[in-house]
Amino acid sequence: MTKKTTSSFTSINRRSLLRGAAGIAGAAALGMPYIKHASAEETVWTLANSMRSVANPYHATFAKGGENFAKSIGAKYETLVTEGNSEKGISDIKALLQRTGGKLILNVDPNDSPDARVIVEECKKAGAYVVTQWNKPGDLHPWDFNPNYVAHMSFDGVPTAKTIAQELFKAMGGAGGVVALGGILSNVPAIERKLGLDMAIKDSGGKVELLDFQPADWDEKKAFDITQAWITRFGDKVKGVFAANDGMGMGALEALRQNNLAGKVPVVGIDGIAQAVKAIEAGEFAGTVAWDPLWTGGMGLAIPYAVASGKLDIAKEGKEHREFYGTGIIVTKATVADYKNNPSKLDFNDLFGKATGQIQYRG
Amino acid sequence: MAGPAARSRGIPAAYRVWAPVAVLAALCLLISLFSPNFLTISNLLRLLNSAAIPMVLSMGMTFIILMGSIDLSVEGILSVTAVLASLLVSNDVSSVELGLWSVPLAILLGGAIGFANGWLHIRLGTPSFMTSLGVGFTAVGIATAILQGVTVRISDQSFRWLSLGRVFTVPMAVWIAALAIGIAYVVQERTRLGRWIYAIGTDETTARQVGIPIERTRIIAFAMAGLFYGLAGVLSAAQFGQGNALIGSGRLFTTITAVVVGGTALSGGAGSVLNTVIGVLIVVVLANGMVLMGVPPFVQQGVQGLLIIAAVALALDRSRMDIVK
Repeated sequence: MTKKTTSSFTSINRRSLLRGAAGIAGAAALGMPYIKHASAEETVWTLANSMRSVANPYHATFAKGGENFAKSIGAKYETLVTEGNSEKGISDIKALLQRTGGKLILNVDPNDSPDARVIVEECKKAGAYVVTQWNKPGDLHPWDFNPNYVAHMSFDGVPTAKTIAQELFKAMGGAGGVVALGGILSNVPAIERKLGLDMAIKDSGGKVELLDFQPADWDEKKAFDITQAWITRFGDKVKGVFAANDGMGMGALEALRQNNLAGKVPVVGIDGIAQAVKAIEAGEFAGTVAWDPLWTGGMGLAIPYAVASGKLDIAKEGKEHREFYGTGIIVTKATVADYKNNPSKLDFNDLFGKATGQIQYRG
Repeated sequence: MAGPAARSRGIPAAYRVWAPVAVLAALCLLISLFSPNFLTISNLLRLLNSAAIPMVLSMGMTFIILMGSIDLSVEGILSVTAVLASLLVSNDVSSVELGLWSVPLAILLGGAIGFANGWLHIRLGTPSFMTSLGVGFTAVGIATAILQGVTVRISDQSFRWLSLGRVFTVPMAVWIAALAIGIAYVVQERTRLGRWIYAIGTDETTARQVGIPIERTRIIAFAMAGLFYGLAGVLSAAQFGQGNALIGSGRLFTTITAVVVGGTALSGGAGSVLNTVIGVLIVVVLANGMVLMGVPPFVQQGVQGLLIIAAVALALDRSRMDIVK
């Protein structure tokens, strides 16, 4: 079982099938040894989350989510960081696959889309189970790598950005000029969020005007400088700032503060970082979208663990459970108290409770 | 390539000194043709405000580049000092409240890390490129380990005043940057250290023969650069009202670009603190101007690249270079 070839992979399928049959049959004599075997295996698996870095709040919470789940089942847990370097990300994963002899359950946010294919292929070869987050090529699908490539999770940027943009317009009184800060031009979330903003502007029926759009590459400092320039260029025509993530939104907010406009010109962001939530309470941010990385960090391990331990036959799950969107929570002035007082509950047995539909590929 | 041939490149030396200023003036003229708002007092103040942190960083970097060395630890030192400063004033993570005393402490930490840069570079005989890269990584690592992804929110208003406050309508950050320029200029012009740095950058062998303490000068220069980065860390924390391990990211490249665009040669010995002041302004005005003129985002980076090449081609003094590498 240390090294799996294609033939031994079919035997896994057969085995998990048998396990499923055993479950249905109850504690049948045939099922007993398998169930026992599975539970004996539990401690054998090593769990790991891989991400860009633990220096940003989103990924730090993502790592924490993974750790929480590992603790709940008493498994070994490791955090891998790519530091924005695809080569490092992949070679760390290969090393861990080697060290664990393929007994690895991996929840990975690939540094770049093409990395996902290499990671999935390595996991498949080693017999490990993997879930990917956010980035993967459009033609790489979990169902083509049964059962090792368990699922891909993401969040739909289009409706999210549209909703949060509409919250911004509401805070502006429904009309006026907005400026928008985008992410790195080639990133899928950046493209989706821009699309959502455009839709919201179109829906405003000409009441809201997009004064300018500038990519600030997810960077707070760039957002600061660009917003300063906008204040010069458009003056008080700027009635609201849309930022494709909270970090850039904070940069814009500080630029507004330098010009005594904080709280007067509303800002919205996406991600739900703690500072943005504080800014909403202070009336400086009109809203943000919280992704709940505690959930993605934990469930990205819980789902493949259920597969590895035979509780879930992933090959039989529909596509809406293989490539799915999670649920973002819209936080505004009206809902911020409720959001803070009722943190979302994590139920590791409710595997797909927050899945909201199959991922769509646009253009 | 022989001396005379090299001298024929570019424009005569007497005018070359003014090349960065000419580039800056041309840039300002061009932008104000497209955008009448550019040359307003309020925009110029915003520009200077944006330039404050790159300016302080570039002051430190100028001395390193004048020696013909390079310092890649800018982002690391900036992050770790910003994190320290944010943790020492009233904030939502630690319970320490030192107020403005955090400022000298953060600057000193920057100096200490800069000293480590220089000391390791000299004692281990490793190139400044690799040493400072390693030290910078370590510094970011320390900041990350302290905070573990958390961002510190600063609630100390007297600390934030260092960026948000205004004296005679000019933001405090601008005054502080001006002070940094003044200090750097005095070091360059009025101290032995300044002269020795030029001597080392021009010809280290000769400098050694005339008895200049090369090792000590190098270590002090790196420590001094660290002090400037520490000050920039304080300004960053004050400007954004926060400290996190990534607060320095993206600063290194701007800093080196500004120094070189100002006309300080990467090979050392040629250039000055005042060149760097112009270099920083060119870089900042360029970024501001492109947004003001409404240059499409897809084109901006290309324009930026071309202008940087043009500025360096005009400003760099190649008369004493036999070979351009």
